[in-house]
Amino acid sequence: MMYDTIIVGGGIAAFGAAVYCGRFQLKTLVLGKSIGGTIILTDDVSNYPGFKKLSGSDLFEKIKEHANDYKIETKTGRVTKISKTKNGFKVDTAEQHFESKTLIIATGSEWRKLNVPGEKEFANKGVHYCALCDGPVYKGKVLGVVGGSDSAAKEALLLTQYGSKVYIFYRGSKIHPEPVNMRKVEKNPKIEVIPNTNIVEIKGDKLVRFVVLDNLYKGTKEFKLDGLFIEIGHIPLSDIVKGLGVKLNEKGEIIIDRAAKTNVEGVYACGDIVDTVFKQAITGVAEGTLAAYSAYEYIETLT
Amino acid sequence: MANVTVYSTTVCPWCQKAKEFLKQNKVKFEEKNVGQDEEARNDMLEKSGQMGVPVLDINGTIIVGFDEPAIRKALKLDKASA
Repeated sequence: MMYDTIIVGGGIAAFGAAVYCGRFQLKTLVLGKSIGGTIILTDDVSNYPGFKKLSGSDLFEKIKEHANDYKIETKTGRVTKISKTKNGFKVDTAEQHFESKTLIIATGSEWRKLNVPGEKEFANKGVHYCALCDGPVYKGKVLGVVGGSDSAAKEALLLTQYGSKVYIFYRGSKIHPEPVNMRKVEKNPKIEVIPNTNIVEIKGDKLVRFVVLDNLYKGTKEFKLDGLFIEIGHIPLSDIVKGLGVKLNEKGEIIIDRAAKTNVEGVYACGDIVDTVFKQAITGVAEGTLAAYSAYEYIETLT
Repeated sequence: MANVTVYSTTVCPWCQKAKEFLKQNKVKFEEKNVGQDEEARNDMLEKSGQMGVPVLDINGTIIVGFDEPAIRKALKLDKASA
């Protein structure tokens, strides 16, 4: 079976692309290791035009439902290899193989790790990457968030619903969330920002008991806490396309042009995987739209 | 019939996905909210040695996260659905 396009990835950008692939009547397969993606881990999305406020999961479901209004196929599976064939591309998972004329890469990103001793050992044992998922387990406990971005601020704000106190550790001098979230952080009595500070080690027994700071805080470098949520950005999951000769930038993001084309004919990309500076649900969906159009336009030239 | 317990929190998206998956496959399960129930939280910690959700206990097989292939295997679903 030859698909017109295989969309590799299962997040919001993938399904945004799928809406347009469906409209263009392309024979489309969405192939993700899971169906959902990073957006579903955000509880408050207030910046997707048309929706004043909804959860990331609700937004995702709406777009997925919209895509499924057209004749598209969805499968789950971890893609292990993508290769070029005479007539297009071959996409392998552990169990299955698929072929297509074009590819839309929307594999997104994974959480950037702090890379300090104890992080791996205490993963899910006090070290977490998703406040929405694991925050409620820490009712009444002392929590920390690492990072200074808007996402870090939002994680901290969410964690105040559960923790008795939430500390934000940031290596720079001033955290930099969107102004609206900055005000919320400043107003929240449960949050304290500890700037100019790195966590250099995470320690405990069965669970995390304390972290070691590179600076003194109230006279000590050992800081007691029960849960540490790391929110220091994402790294692109682009290894899978390296074999195709797709050009990446120095961060490992796929370089696309204004039509979401990569340097390889028939290969397009969208979402957190691409080299845009401002990564939002709306920009990922927009890139997906362009990728679908570019795939459609290319397939037209083949016939 | 498999004996299935899902340890979850109220809003955790992957917990929802895991529960949806079980429902779709007509698997009955008991749900324990570890955000509200301290005893369930300790149970989960003891069984899985960690604090991330969801945790599924399928006839004593402990699965951390919504790991669809592992859940399918533990429930022996693959032959039926392939």
